[in-house]
Amino acid sequence: MSMELFGNALLSGLLLGGFYAAVAVGITIAFGMLDIVNIAHPAFIMLGAFVAYWLNVEYGLDPLLAALVAAPFAYIAGRGLYRYYHGVFERRSEDSLQGLAFFFGLLFVVEVSLLLVFGVDYRFVSAPYIGPSLTFGDYSVPYRMLVPFLAGLGVVALIALYLGRTFTGRAILAVSQDPGALRLVGGNPVKIKEAAFGLSIATAMLAGALLVIIQPIEPSMGREFIGRAFAICVLGGMTSLLGTVVAGAILGVAEAMTTTYVGAAWGPAVSFGLLLITLAVRPSGIFGR
Amino acid sequence: MGNSLSVEGLHAGYGAVKVLSGIDMSVRHGETAALLGTNGNGKSTLLKCLTGQIRPSKGRITATIDGQTHDLSALSTEAIVALGIALVPEGRRLFPKLTVDENLTLGAMPKKARAGMEERRAFCFEAFPRLKERRRQLAGSMSGGEQQMLAFGRALMSAPKILLVDEPSVGLAPILVARMIDKIAELKAALGLTVLMAEQNFNQAIRIADRGYVLVHGEIAHAAEDAASLKANDVVRRLYLGVD
Repeated sequence: MSMELFGNALLSGLLLGGFYAAVAVGITIAFGMLDIVNIAHPAFIMLGAFVAYWLNVEYGLDPLLAALVAAPFAYIAGRGLYRYYHGVFERRSEDSLQGLAFFFGLLFVVEVSLLLVFGVDYRFVSAPYIGPSLTFGDYSVPYRMLVPFLAGLGVVALIALYLGRTFTGRAILAVSQDPGALRLVGGNPVKIKEAAFGLSIATAMLAGALLVIIQPIEPSMGREFIGRAFAICVLGGMTSLLGTVVAGAILGVAEAMTTTYVGAAWGPAVSFGLLLITLAVRPSGIFGR
Repeated sequence: MGNSLSVEGLHAGYGAVKVLSGIDMSVRHGETAALLGTNGNGKSTLLKCLTGQIRPSKGRITATIDGQTHDLSALSTEAIVALGIALVPEGRRLFPKLTVDENLTLGAMPKKARAGMEERRAFCFEAFPRLKERRRQLAGSMSGGEQQMLAFGRALMSAPKILLVDEPSVGLAPILVARMIDKIAELKAALGLTVLMAEQNFNQAIRIADRGYVLVHGEIAHAAEDAASLKANDVVRRLYLGVD
């Protein structure tokens, strides 16, 4: 076993982990903190990826800049979506099964819409950091991996600051533990969840832009991220952002190692394997409270 | 400035189940009123009406805060808390997976309560030194007595003028009950609060109560102007003191 091969796998796994953290942070908010099983999250990531692609191809916007432009719209759309979800399912306590079916349906609607608009061809963006690599010694780090890694960690860090330092942020952490008690301290649980869900969807927009930087995209790719995102959320401890980052890195490294030493075909099995091991050994996750 | 509560002809319940019928009561500025009654007589329901958690089917609930009168029966719980009326709920209702500090901070969520938050946190730590020792601990991992302290602390963080307390003695060891009741009197004096306390531990409650109401089957069975008159009352003697 060559050191160089191992080192490169470790490095690319860690870089992938930063991107995975951005993919999963929206699930950590929606599923972990709000108890909303938004299984359609990966579809919104694909939507974000195609929006970034469209802004890049049509207007020459840098994908990261495109994500920043589109994120506020995603936030507003997410708030609207939560309002609908709350009115139709959550308020009537029909969120567990009907709510899940709703998001499952939404997953397909978004995916098929993207197929109808963009077709099945792989699409890619152009940006100065797609192509060149940073090389030191035997190792090389492609910028198309490094930029999403840094941006992904940056997004999670910003959300951590928001949740830890603001009243709305703390209320987001509290709301699923006891919505009635949140009213008793003067917060409106519905408004808090609405804001948090908007934030969650905004992160999907950002993760989508990172995805299209990393690799060419096609509409059905989102499905590959369902297992990954939920596995990271559970492994990280459901509500912990630090857990999301660490679990993202673990999954990234595990996938890179598997691809390198076992074969690329086994890559997608890693996330479900990790999920099963977590549930068997430590169901509360690494940083579960 | 006056802070008071007034309830007139209040009827309330859960769906078809009527719990309160025709409650008239009031809490005057600066006093501690006790709401006495055994389980299932409507004490908690009354406090839930006062905090907007249950909408009364009939009757008026008004609160005067700093001389301004508000109709509570139309307001949401959040709005009532923002006015300066805080509830220490039955069962504490803390956020178990947040730390003591985080629970306290959330208590200061109403916009008016955010200024002066750190002063009030310091006050809470002075009143309940145990909370300071445990400030980084998860609320759910503390003992019942400590959780009750935190429930008080969290309510005080909203800078209330009127404090409602639901069954502070439930789940506490007898020695802690007496301390908790003393603490309510101490907090009330220190902060100039107006207090309404629902309690079934009669002997403890009347130690600090200025006045009291005895609730039986959703009606006020007796309204007492002072503790002595409570002790002398027939209903009270029969139900609480075991005297025939």
